[in-house]
Amino acid sequence: MSAILPPSKRIWWKQPLDKIELTWIAIAFVWALVLFFMMPYWHVFGKQNLSNEAYRISTESYQKKAQDMVDKYTARTETEQKIPVVHPPAGSDVYLIARLWAWWPILELENGQSYRLHLSAMDYQHGFSLQPSNINLQVVPGYEMVVTVTPNQSGTYAIVCNEYCGIGHHTMVSRLYVVDKK
Amino acid sequence: MANPADATQRPAPEEAEERIPIMQHVLENPFLLLFLGVAIPAVFYIIWGIMEIVAIPIAK
Repeated sequence: MSAILPPSKRIWWKQPLDKIELTWIAIAFVWALVLFFMMPYWHVFGKQNLSNEAYRISTESYQKKAQDMVDKYTARTETEQKIPVVHPPAGSDVYLIARLWAWWPILELENGQSYRLHLSAMDYQHGFSLQPSNINLQVVPGYEMVVTVTPNQSGTYAIVCNEYCGIGHHTMVSRLYVVDKK
Repeated sequence: MANPADATQRPAPEEAEERIPIMQHVLENPFLLLFLGVAIPAVFYIIWGIMEIVAIPIAK
């Protein structure tokens, strides 16, 4: 009768369930299952929730790897900060550094080719957001995240930092070029 | 609340000897519930999470 009185029978566990309550529980449970299975479904069949590899790395080692790539494959520089534009060979490992408050270098990838894109930060946590494809990954210092990407449309993409990283966070934007295979 | 059918009630003298179901024990014991409410999330989220992070391999 009342929630604060003890149950009328010592063994209340076996009292039969009201039909309305069973229906309510069934609907809530089915909906919970739908929401649960949506997660792996979109991971497998969706275009945005990518799986990635993760490795531990020191910031110095990662910076060296990125610098090696830039030394080998720089095509030109752009912007006032003279950021190198790198055109690495198809199928290779490409490196992007996130640091306060810039993305370095600028990558130029070929349409239809796969690359292993490595991401790491030099100082604090940043967010890699490729627009308009809306691919988002967290980028942290001390860890190297690797996603295998295959551009399927040529053009200029924006890379925006979407994890607040300080006073210059709103200026941390860059670009990524996808060009057709020559 | 609908009254349970009388056929499911046990005669009073036998109730004292009837075994109380385990789930009813669990739900009647507030300190057990407190323990489970802390231990289960701690194991499945915190401890499992730390195990996964510690297992991240070193980059080549």
